[in-house]
Amino acid sequence: MTDIAQPDRCIVCTTCTVMCPVAKNCLDFLGPRMIGPAHQRFRLLGMGEDESLHYCSNCKNCDISCPCDVPVSTFIMRARAEASREKPPKFRDWILAHGELLACWLRFIPAVFKNFGMGFAPVRLLLHALGIARQAPLPAFAAQTFRRKFKSLSQPQNLPRQVVLFPGCFVDIYEPESGLDIVAVLNRAGYEAITPEGFVCCGLPLVANGFWQNARQNARRNLEELARWTDRGLPVLTACPSCALMFGKDYAEYFPDLLPRNLSPVLVDVCEFLTGCMERGELSAPDVAPGAATTGDDHILYHAPCHLRALGAGLPGLELLRLIPGLRAEYADSGCCGISGSYGFKKDKYAIGMRVGSALFSAMRQSDAKLCASECGTCRVQMRHGGGKQTLHPVSILRRWLDGK
Amino acid sequence: MRAFRVVVIGGGATGIGILRDLSMRGVTAVLLEQGGLAYGTSSRFHGLLHSGARYAVSDVEAARECIEENAVLRRIGRHCVEKSEGLFVLTAEDDEAYVRPWLEACAEAGITTEAVAPDEARRLEPALSPEIRQVFRVPDGGIDGFRLVWHNAMSARRHGGQVRTCHKVTGIESANGRVTAVEVCDTLKKETYRLACEYVVNAAGPWSGEIARMAGQTVDITPDRGTLLAFNHRFTSHIVNRLHESADGDIFVPHGSITILGTTSARAKNPADTTPAPEEVLRLLSLGEPLFPAVREYRILRAFAGNRPLYTPPDHDAGRSASRNFVIVDHEKDGLAGFVSIFGGKLTTYRLMAEKMTDLVCGRLGVATPCRTAEVPLAEQPSEEMLARAARRLPAHRTQLVAERLGDQFADIVGGLEKSGGSDLLCECELVTRAEVELAAGDEATHFLHDIRFRTRLGMGTCQGSYCSLRAMGALTEIGAPFAADAQAALRLFLQERWRGLRPVMWGAQVQEIELGRAIYGSTLNLNGGDDETD
Ligand SMILES: Cc1cc2nc3c(=O)[nH]c(=O)nc-3n(C[C@H](O)[C@H](O)[C@H](O)COP(=O)(O)OP(=O)(O)OC[C@H]3O[C@@H](n4cnc5c(N)ncnc54)[C@H](O)[C@@H]3O)c2cc1C
Ligand code: SF4
Ligand code: SF4
Repeated sequence: MTDIAQPDRCIVCTTCTVMCPVAKNCLDFLGPRMIGPAHQRFRLLGMGEDESLHYCSNCKNCDISCPCDVPVSTFIMRARAEASREKPPKFRDWILAHGELLACWLRFIPAVFKNFGMGFAPVRLLLHALGIARQAPLPAFAAQTFRRKFKSLSQPQNLPRQVVLFPGCFVDIYEPESGLDIVAVLNRAGYEAITPEGFVCCGLPLVANGFWQNARQNARRNLEELARWTDRGLPVLTACPSCALMFGKDYAEYFPDLLPRNLSPVLVDVCEFLTGCMERGELSAPDVAPGAATTGDDHILYHAPCHLRALGAGLPGLELLRLIPGLRAEYADSGCCGISGSYGFKKDKYAIGMRVGSALFSAMRQSDAKLCASECGTCRVQMRHGGGKQTLHPVSILRRWLDGK
Repeated sequence: MRAFRVVVIGGGATGIGILRDLSMRGVTAVLLEQGGLAYGTSSRFHGLLHSGARYAVSDVEAARECIEENAVLRRIGRHCVEKSEGLFVLTAEDDEAYVRPWLEACAEAGITTEAVAPDEARRLEPALSPEIRQVFRVPDGGIDGFRLVWHNAMSARRHGGQVRTCHKVTGIESANGRVTAVEVCDTLKKETYRLACEYVVNAAGPWSGEIARMAGQTVDITPDRGTLLAFNHRFTSHIVNRLHESADGDIFVPHGSITILGTTSARAKNPADTTPAPEEVLRLLSLGEPLFPAVREYRILRAFAGNRPLYTPPDHDAGRSASRNFVIVDHEKDGLAGFVSIFGGKLTTYRLMAEKMTDLVCGRLGVATPCRTAEVPLAEQPSEEMLARAARRLPAHRTQLVAERLGDQFADIVGGLEKSGGSDLLCECELVTRAEVELAAGDEATHFLHDIRFRTRLGMGTCQGSYCSLRAMGALTEIGAPFAADAQAALRLFLQERWRGLRPVMWGAQVQEIELGRAIYGSTLNLNGGDDETD
């Protein structure tokens, strides 16, 4: 049994530091190798943290690039958790980490006020004072969460199969339409979707902002809930690569004691699932949408979220798009968008995030595609903000084609 | 004309301790060292500030010396001592019958022992074997040999003492049964000259037999080789000893960012025989398992060996049964006045050894000034003001580290940082800044990258010098450090010495590390000057 806290696997090749988008765009950040495995040796000696620890965005490009399988970002997140015990995170970080809870409270406020609130200049000034950048594309709370909308949704009768859908906070709170798109496509493939109340936020934003214990509580609840459904043989799907990563990889590294028999609990990527449906013939590929070729909507620029790449299971979203006849899906291949969950919203990180995303933004501008796609909700927010083009979840695009829109 | 009354041979802990003591008593003295400071056994040892508990049963007198000097060094050498405590652990393989006599012997020597419940010990050190049976806490500590020697040197200099490194003693001259001078070769300038003196102190550690022979004398020492393993991280924060009769591979010492396991004991071919063998490494690993069952999973940084200057009078065996006590021989009784040898002992007792030797020499020279080395700290504690100034230039967590490393030169570094910057890291594994490297390079006792390594820990971490040596050479070439003139040769020398310790441990992550280093220097930088492949 090798202790996860050991820095021994690192061979100091510095690949991770070269590949870290934050280190490249912020000279004050010592970078993943130093803050991760290198400082780990000094943490064991009781030495304090390097001040630049807070710059890490938890995008996990370090983990992706490391040839030695060093859990670099886990070192960093654990260190952040420790540092947060001594010095509690800012109120700003609390707000950004607890979107789910906020949404829960805001449920009682009518949507007009909520939206009004988020875009309203005085509110933004107040948030700015708290440390949330005024320019940042903070998404507005939806009038109704996905889960509430889902409850009043009537799915077609007598669907032959069932799946469980873990929507992820972003879809639930800010973009319920994407969730509804997914349910519609699942229905069409013959699946009834179930979205259990028992699941909570995967905890990734909590970890990234230093709320380790809260994340742990969420992990425990989610693992119990997951077991209930997988025991019944039902696959649990998610539309969010970060949630999938948190379940499939991070839980084991962060809270190994919570995992039954060291087994990695899996959330299935919804795009991968739908690709399977097409291959099995449960879902037939849509016809060429009428008029798409003339309006230019047949060309999509696809961006792969970092956390999807960190999962190391290919690019199912891109594959799914490429199964749509007549649609040209181009891979942007331009690295990180710079948002990293709530990172790019922070006043002291906004500019870094924008620099990180600049390669993607210019790829978006230079591309002929009018429409872009990405699985991650906050990536979509950042892409619209920085690249200036409409960006949707691949399944939303699929739905449009299926519906002939 | 004599510039110095006393010549001290050997720049290890013993010699440098004597130089400091003599200088503090106002005796003009020079120390001659064939290599650099601490090139001998004083850098090739385990780093344990003995409580004496290890020797309590076999040699209560040595144990008593240890515990007394342990307390002194904690006082005068705060920069060099790591206050980690020691645990003595009775493993599944050790004999319970040893515990009582050991406890009694410790009590007799004045070493406090405190029982710790095995569960509690495993809470303190989770990597310990679950099968441990009894645990006792003792006042062991860690000691940094490089730093100790350098801080002694700086203190000696402040009192007028001189240190000449790369000065190899080649002969000892005498007339009418009295030493008159030492013949010494400056190995860098390749010049040999005479140094007239009244007294010669032979503190050449495992080489002291050779020095004695130059004077036509003999001393009963046997160089006894011990091999040690340095691991990449600190998997224990306590010093962990096996509770049994001293044997091989039974102590783990956490040392800064690393952990050291040792040692072995075998007769050395010669005092310079310090290249470890893979068999010794494998043996140490299996010996370490009863304490730390996962020891094979931890990455070994390097293996190294040192030679104990063991005192072996004709009727004694060498090895573990030899005395750990020190011996002073006044060769006047054998017909050579003005020549004294000191050997044996431990690094822990270096100060006491120096005191006794200096007492003898001063007595003969008619100097009555008493010894003060047990009271006067080696280096001053940095002032709050200085720490605050440093904190403006260095990240907070590194200020203390730098202060401890540099001792009395801390103020110089802070001044330097304020004037010309240099807080960038050249050695990332051990957090060494450019300013520290430049400062160490400017010392007159520094002639090689190794000296900078000893002074700062440059090149001692995970990458074992692959990155920092190149960066350091670059920085030193820029400021025109003399030895950087032939940067390639200097670099090659440094890397070869690093690789000497890596060769016996070529497996796991370490072999990947070595391959990376080879690729950087052998291919990318073509350090060996291979031909152009297109020719
Ligand atoms: C494996 C091992 C582990 C040990 N562990 C511990 C421990 O944990 N704790 C402890 O307290 N002690 C320990 N010791 C013992 C301790 O290291 C030694 O007792 C101590 O370092 C000896 O110091 P020294 O100055 O006498 O010798 P050295 O450090 O060897 O110094 C002698 C110096 O003389 C120089 N010299 C030789 N010939 C000449 C010449 N002709 N001209 C000029 N200079 C010359 C050499 O280059 C050398 O630098 C250990 C020893 C070994 C071998
Ligand atoms: S997680 Fe991202 S920002 Fe953090 S160190 Fe790794 S690559 Fe850099
Ligand atoms: S963590 Fe991985 S990528 Fe980074 S330096 Fe170490 S081995 Fe290389």
